[in-house]
Parts: sequence; structure tokens; C-alpha cells
Amino acid sequence: MKPAPFDYAVPRTVAEAVAALGDTRRKAQVVAGGQSLILEMHLERVRPELVVDINRIPELDGMRVEGDELRVGALVRHAAFEPPDAVPGPLGTLLAQAVVNIAHPPIRSRGTMAGSYGWAHPASEWCAIGVALDATVELAGPDGARSVAARDYFLGPFRTARLPQELITAVRLPLLGENTGVGFIEHRRTHFCFAQVAVGTTLTVDDGVISDVRIALVNSADRPLRARAAEDALRGSELGALPAGPRVRDEHPFARAGRIAAEHDAAPLPEPFADVDHKRRIIAVLVARTLLQAANDRRARLAARQGDHR
Amino acid sequence: MEKWARREDERLLSGKGRYVADIHVPGCLDAAFVRSKVAHGVLRAVDCTAARDVPGVVGAWSAADLPDLPPVPYTLLAGLSTEEAVAGREWSALVKDRVRYPGEALAVVLGEDRYRAEDGVAEVTATIDPLPAVVTPSAALKDSVRLFDGMSNVVLRGEAGEPVDPAVWEGAAAVVEATYRQQLLMPSPMECRTVLAVPDGDRLTVWSGHQMPHRLRRELAALLGWSADRIRVVVPDTGGAFGSKSAAFPEFVAVAHLAVKLGRPVRWIEDRLESMLVATRGRGQDQRVRLAADADGRLLAYELSIDADVGAYPHLGAGLPMQTAWMAAGAYTTPHVHATLRSVLTNTMVTYPYRGAGRPEAAIAIERTMDLLARRLGMDPVELRRRNFIPPDAFPYETPVGRVYDSGNYAAALDLALETLDHDRWRAEQARRRTDPDALPLGIGISCYVERSGGEAGGLHEFGSLQVTEDGRITARCGAAPSGQGHETVFPALVAKFLGVPEAQVRLIEGDTDEQPEGLGSFASRSAQVDGALFQHLANLLIEEARTRAAGLWELPVDQVAWTDGSVHTAHNGSALMDLGELVKHTGPLRIEDRFETGQAFPFGAHAAVTEVDPDLGLVNILQLVTVDDCGVILNPAVVRGQAYGSALQGIGQALYEGMQFDDDGVPHVASGFLDYLLPTFTEVPPIEAKDTHTPSPNSPLGAKGAGESGCIGTPAAIANAVADALPAVDPELLQMPLTPDRILRALRASTHEEDVR
Repeated sequence: MKPAPFDYAVPRTVAEAVAALGDTRRKAQVVAGGQSLILEMHLERVRPELVVDINRIPELDGMRVEGDELRVGALVRHAAFEPPDAVPGPLGTLLAQAVVNIAHPPIRSRGTMAGSYGWAHPASEWCAIGVALDATVELAGPDGARSVAARDYFLGPFRTARLPQELITAVRLPLLGENTGVGFIEHRRTHFCFAQVAVGTTLTVDDGVISDVRIALVNSADRPLRARAAEDALRGSELGALPAGPRVRDEHPFARAGRIAAEHDAAPLPEPFADVDHKRRIIAVLVARTLLQAANDRRARLAARQGDHR
Repeated sequence: MEKWARREDERLLSGKGRYVADIHVPGCLDAAFVRSKVAHGVLRAVDCTAARDVPGVVGAWSAADLPDLPPVPYTLLAGLSTEEAVAGREWSALVKDRVRYPGEALAVVLGEDRYRAEDGVAEVTATIDPLPAVVTPSAALKDSVRLFDGMSNVVLRGEAGEPVDPAVWEGAAAVVEATYRQQLLMPSPMECRTVLAVPDGDRLTVWSGHQMPHRLRRELAALLGWSADRIRVVVPDTGGAFGSKSAAFPEFVAVAHLAVKLGRPVRWIEDRLESMLVATRGRGQDQRVRLAADADGRLLAYELSIDADVGAYPHLGAGLPMQTAWMAAGAYTTPHVHATLRSVLTNTMVTYPYRGAGRPEAAIAIERTMDLLARRLGMDPVELRRRNFIPPDAFPYETPVGRVYDSGNYAAALDLALETLDHDRWRAEQARRRTDPDALPLGIGISCYVERSGGEAGGLHEFGSLQVTEDGRITARCGAAPSGQGHETVFPALVAKFLGVPEAQVRLIEGDTDEQPEGLGSFASRSAQVDGALFQHLANLLIEEARTRAAGLWELPVDQVAWTDGSVHTAHNGSALMDLGELVKHTGPLRIEDRFETGQAFPFGAHAAVTEVDPDLGLVNILQLVTVDDCGVILNPAVVRGQAYGSALQGIGQALYEGMQFDDDGVPHVASGFLDYLLPTFTEVPPIEAKDTHTPSPNSPLGAKGAGESGCIGTPAAIANAVADALPAVDPELLQMPLTPDRILRALRASTHEEDVR
């Protein structure tokens, strides 16, 4: 478990990093938190000739709200999203709910959101949320900067639209409105391992009608997925009475949406202890339960706001 | 938190521990091994030429390059295995012509450091013609794929007890049958295996994280053709063993051979991926059981048949299933018990003792079957057990499978477990949930185990000494070799107590064959029971010697000299008084050496678990776990508690998470390490209440029994029974460990389907 020999560059600016990556004679890897890359290098499944360490580029650090978007710099660690108020509104709640599922605290203190986008593991929580919420990936390359919509960015397991000479500088996520509730549930065997399946949802309700819904499916295909068919089945329908939970009966619309997501949206790949059939069953249950969670979250949010107004 | 502090903790918890990998020897070479990627195949060629040209590589050798490389020493330790099992089935340290398990070493590369050695490994090429692989006993039993040409895969057959008369089954009111798979587990110590061999003149010093340094010395001496006194084995701080570190492994053979051949220090520090591929495994049994009772729930007969997966070579694991057979009877007075076993070679690294070593397999089989029987009889599983416990006044109790249990009060342990759990409250909650369609089903499971500590006949002794210097300090030595058990805390305190001196006056030296010329080591939960008693024996001899010397000095009869609190004095008025240091100054060096033997002991306990199952997701949530263990007289409560807690976690691992998975080609699915083979982590730890009862062992002077393996033995069946209890509609046989979500969902679906069909 020792990496093969490699060169190591420590640029101080984005321009320097891009220049280092521009040397196409050498297979390069960017390291930020290194929580995936270093293990893969130890296992020699990844054998870069050049490792570009971006940790000393100050302009990549920090996140801030820009207009109606959250811009997350490439050095922002997972742990930054743990406080629910680190990001305003329901988006902050969703990110806080999701982030605690990313392995253990030491990993969250090093790994980064942008790194997850760079690595593009199908079981990445961040990537599926980004796809469902219409996130944008900012890239800097030899020909300047460009932005790619998350839905066009992920091409397959560990495959993205990023060119080898490009550096992810930030991920931008749209903020969520106050009429929106969020839910996130992850299913896995122990807290340490990757999700067998995870689901994140946002549910926007206006005048009792579901005006928008986003369903993020984690590890439910060869890439992060948005369950559009399930969303379409719900959008425009009445919210109706909510079950007490946590279980959602088969006949409830949320359960129906879950089955649609499992059968029509998902294309799961088999793994030990989780064959395709198992994953579909779990997807159906988690979609239903996260929708319920989101509906309850929205209700709690409204109640809190009304309480504030009193 | 003073009560948690062990003497070694300050060192171990603040980064001051010194493990083999921390020992710096100038000029030391690191070994890395070229490992087979296939599970089974004919080795055609190994080419190390390119590796030898890698900068920093000092040498690279295949078996053909090292014609004098000795094979891996086999062992018939404890009489568990036989010469016939081993004959014709040699285990080469480097593969000569046939690969029999994935990861088996094809070549060894020595480099100036591990990085360079691994760069060399990457340049070695090997040609292997793959053969079909068999990784389960049932597949290997067919003998359609033979690991050794012309020889059966069955290397050993064994039996305990007498066959049950068919009339007993026919006359019984209830007979239940079941099959269980005791999955292959990895011991997973924090520190993987280590060996550092340093030639020094005509001697060799070997540092290793090891449980049996004297055995390692003996085996290395034999394979080098040396006398044992030319080898010194030293065990420094060791990060866990759990039974997996007591052999001279193939890598150890290669390292010792090359260190001597080159006259240079060589070390091998196993990394995690190697460990997962080629360290020993535990468990690995396919079991069939049959249990009969009369209408009142009195047990009539029990039958256990075992097909044990012993890996690619008949090492210690071949005989290990005998431990299961001998413990088949469990805690009950069943008049007829019969256990049979077949040890079967498979294309996996060898099975070997892993914390529990044969007893978990016995306890899980009988305890899961007791619940099946209770269900069949419509009886409370608690009541069924109570009716059949061996009563406290029946000890020593000889079981039909040949064990003589020393002492026990099984009902008392069960009572304490139920009281601690608040059993009635959970039963009420279970009933409530059964009427609430939205509630998650809840189950309660118990497991009453008996196990064995100390070892087997012929290995129940230990050697040691007490030495006093002129400053009055006492050095205690013994043949034990700890890997985290807290000996430095327990043994000096014991010696100090026996002699009546302050604890700080006593220090302990273990794990060094030059310091302690004879010894057995630390295994089979034996150190407290055997070494503890040894130190009491040595202390008594020391006191006698001190009195004799003082009597000589003072020209008094010995009976006129008394011993109090580390000093000799005249018995009648105490006028002459001399402490140990003074006595040594006046009478010369004082060292007491001896050997001491105890009998076998049989620790026991009752574990109880409450689990909640999410029937939509298949998730098992342990709401509460109670462990009541009885290891006789407790020498140190904090250490015993640590053992109970840690072993319970490993028991949870077997019940819910752990288990080797194999691809179709027989290669284990461990390429991503602990992301593939799941251990319970801190997040998975449920509320655990560890309690104890204290039934002294009459077989050891201290009354202490082994405490180290309780949870691995008692906990798994408690959890499995709790899950089965939560899901009464599910066929319990479908609930095989590890109880993963997909397994539970499949079991639930199979049962729903059956109901639909009816």
C-alpha cells in the first residue's frame, strides 16, 4: 500500500495550478482533501505522474452567497456544512442533513465538496444533490474559465466533463425558498462505508399544491441522478394529509413516487450485499420517506416563521 | 476516571508505544511480497529479473531462486490435529508449483524501504494457469476440485460423544432441525503482522508482535537448523492479536531465512491490504443441528455436524473444529449429545483461532436452536433454558461430549441479565408494537453460553520467576506475551498484593525469550488464570525462601520467622525486622523460578439483546445489549470490563456486519479494505451494559477464569435470536449471519410469499 513514484507541485494561484495541469505529457491529479485520491494511490489503482496540491491557493477557499446562489470554493471542507445555519434557508438544512453521512469527522475535516465533484463517485451525496438542484461547476483551464451545469457534467462513474487541464474552482448551488422543505436519508451497512443508496428531496408547496419537487438519487445509477419521472408524478398535485411516519403506506402518493423513481428513474448497479432488486426496493422506500421528511420540514419551517411573527 | 487507567495506557495512548515498525535498526531492509491474483492455479514461471534492476531493490527471489527455503512449520498443538492431516500437504513459504489461495506469496523483494520494495514487486512477472477454485466446504467436499492431486480435500474427521439412538428422536415430543453458516471472519487487529529479524554474530534476534514467542523461537530454530538458544524472540508493544498471531507464517519464514542468508536485518510490516488478503481467518463452519425435547421441554438429545472450512493447508485450523465439538452441549443437561466434524480444504488463506476459537460456533448453534425449540413447544425461551440448565450443585459436571465443567451458576447469570435488561418492560413494549401497524417490530434475544479457558491438557502450565534486587525492587517474569490485555497493570499488582509491597516496587518483563527462557504465551484466555496463579505460587515460594534465609541469618528455626508486608521479622516480638532489599544485601541474589499448572476452567454468561427491525429497509437497530459474564474471581474489574466490551463489539460484528465475500473466481472481495469488509465502528456501538457474576473456579488457586472471549461467544446468538423474535413470520433459517439489510428483506419476502401461497 505505497503509491508509485510521482511528482508533486504546490501552486500558489489558480493560474499556476492551471499551468501545472496544462503539461499534458504527464498524467496529473489534483489533490485537495485527498480522502479518495490518497487511498486510491496507495492501492495503486490511480497512478498519477504529477500531483497538483491546491491547498495553498487562498482564492479557492471560502463560500459566500452571490445573488440567489451559494458559491462554494474548491477548498471548502465537508465539515463546513455541518452547522445548519452555515448556509441560509432550507438549502443549509439539506446540506447539513446530508453532510453527516459523509464518512467520519476526520474525513469530513479534510475532504471537500469540489473534490467530490472532481472524483464523481456514484455514491457521492454532494453530486446527486447538485444534479437535482441544478448546480453549476466552475472550471478554470488554459483557455479561461467556463461553467458547466451539473446535469451535463457527470458522464459516468469517476467520469466528468472536466478536461484534464481544467481545475474546479467552485461549485454553485441555488438557494431554496422559504416555502420549501427538505429531506435526506442514507441507507448503508455501517456509517463508515459508502451509501448503498441515499435520497435527498426538496418539496415546495404553494397553497397546498406541490409547485416544485426535486429528488436526488445517490448511488442509484452509474452517475448521480435526478428522479425526474417521480418528480413529474408529484408536481402540481395536492399535498394532502401526511402520514405519521416514519413508514409510508403503499397507497400514499409519496410511496407511488418512490416506486416510479425506483423503476423508471434509477438504473442501479449491483454490489455485494445490494443487488439491483435490493437497491430498487430501498430507493422506493427512501424516496417516500424523504418526501415525508421534506413535507414535515416545510410545515415546521412555516410554524416557526408564524411563531416569529407573533 | 482513575478506575480506567492501566499502567500501560499512558504510554499506549500518548503515542509512546513502541511497536515492531518503530524499531530502528540501521541497514534494515523491508520485505514486500509478490502475491497471486488467482485463488487456485498451476504456477508456470516467476521472473524477478526486472525487479532486481529497480533502484533501491537489494534482491528479489522466487521459490526457484531459494532452493534452501524451508516450508512453513505445521503444528499439532494441543493435539487438535494429526500427522495424517498434514502428510503430503506441505505449505511452501513461497509457491513452488501450485497456488492454493489468493495472495499466496510467489516471490519476495527486499528493498531499502517498503516503497522501493513495492516498486520491485510491480516489476515481477508470474505465469499461472488458473484452476477452478472452491471457497466453501460444501463445494470442496465434492472433491471435484482437489487442492492436492490424488488426495481428498477432507483432511480430518472428528467426533465427540456417542451417536444418538434413533429411538430417542422417534420418541421425542418435539424435534427441531436447522442449518447454520458460521461465516468466515477476519480478526482485524489494529496492528497487522510484523516481524524483524536481526542477525547478530551467530545469533538471530527476532522482533515480532506475537502471542507465543517461545513457540516462534522453537519453530524458527527448527527451520534454520539451529539450537533454540541462538534465537531470541522479543515481543514489543503489540496492537492486538485476537488469536491470529501465534504462528511462524510464510512471510516470517522468508524473512528469517533471508536475514540469515544475507547477514542483514530484514523486516516485514504487513499492511492492511495484505492482512485482509492473507492473514488468518476465523470461524468458517457449515453446521447441521438436531435437538429433541419431551413435552415439558426437557432436552433429550442434541446432534451437531460440522463441515469446517480450514483453508488451503492443514494448519492449526484443521483441528480447531474439535473445540466446537467438545463444547457442543452448552449449558444444559441434555443426556445424549453427539458432534461430528469434517475439516475441509478450500482455496482460502487458512482458518485459525480468532477470539472465541471454536466456542462461538458451538454457542451460536445450541443457543439459536434453543429458540427454535422454544418456538416449536410454544414455550418462553427463558423458561426452556431454566428447565435444562446444569444446576449449581452438579459441578464438576461431565458433558456427554467429554468436557468436565468446573463450576457454574447459569441461572444466576440469566437472572441478572433479564433484570438488567428490564425484560418484562421490553416484552410489554413488544406486545404494544405488534398492535401498532406503524411501529417497527421489536425482538428480544438471549444467549446463555459456556466456554473454556486456559487451554488444553498439556498446555495448561506456564513458567516464570520473581527476582529481588538489593534496592528491594521485584522483577516478575513469565512466558505470557500480551497484545493489549493489560498485563502490566494486573500482574505487578497481584505480586505486590501477595507479597504485601507497594505496586510501584514490582515491574513485569514478558515477551522476551532471553529474559524468560521457557514459556507458552498468551492465548485461550489463559494469562489471568494460569500466569496469575503462577505468580501466587512464586510469591509463596519467595516468602518461604525469605523466611529460610532470615532464619539462617538470625540463627532461628524457620517457624520463628514470620512474613508481613514485604518484610521478615521474628515471630514472637518482631524485634528483628528486615525488608526484602536488606535481606538480599545480607544473603545474596534472590531469584525464584518455577512452572505452575492449573486445570481447565469454564467461564459462562448470559447475553441479552433488544433489536428493532425496519421491515421496509431491512435495518437492524440494537436498542440495548446486556452482557453478564462470569469469569470466576475478577483480578481487575477495569480490565475485565474492557474485555467484555471489546469482545461484545466483535460479537456484534459477526451478527450484523462481518463476513468474507468472494467473487466467482474465489478471490475475496476486499480490494478496498475496510470499505468492503465492514467492522462495527463507533457509530454502530449500541448501549451496552456489561455486568458480572462471580463463581470461582476450583481448578485454579486464584479462582479466576479467562475473561477475554466472552462477547464473541455470547453476543452473536443473542442478536440473531432477537432479530428472529422481532420477525415471527420469518423462517429463522433464512436469518443467517451477518444479518445484512438485503438478507433480512429477502427473508421477509420469502415468508410473505409463503403466506400468500398457503
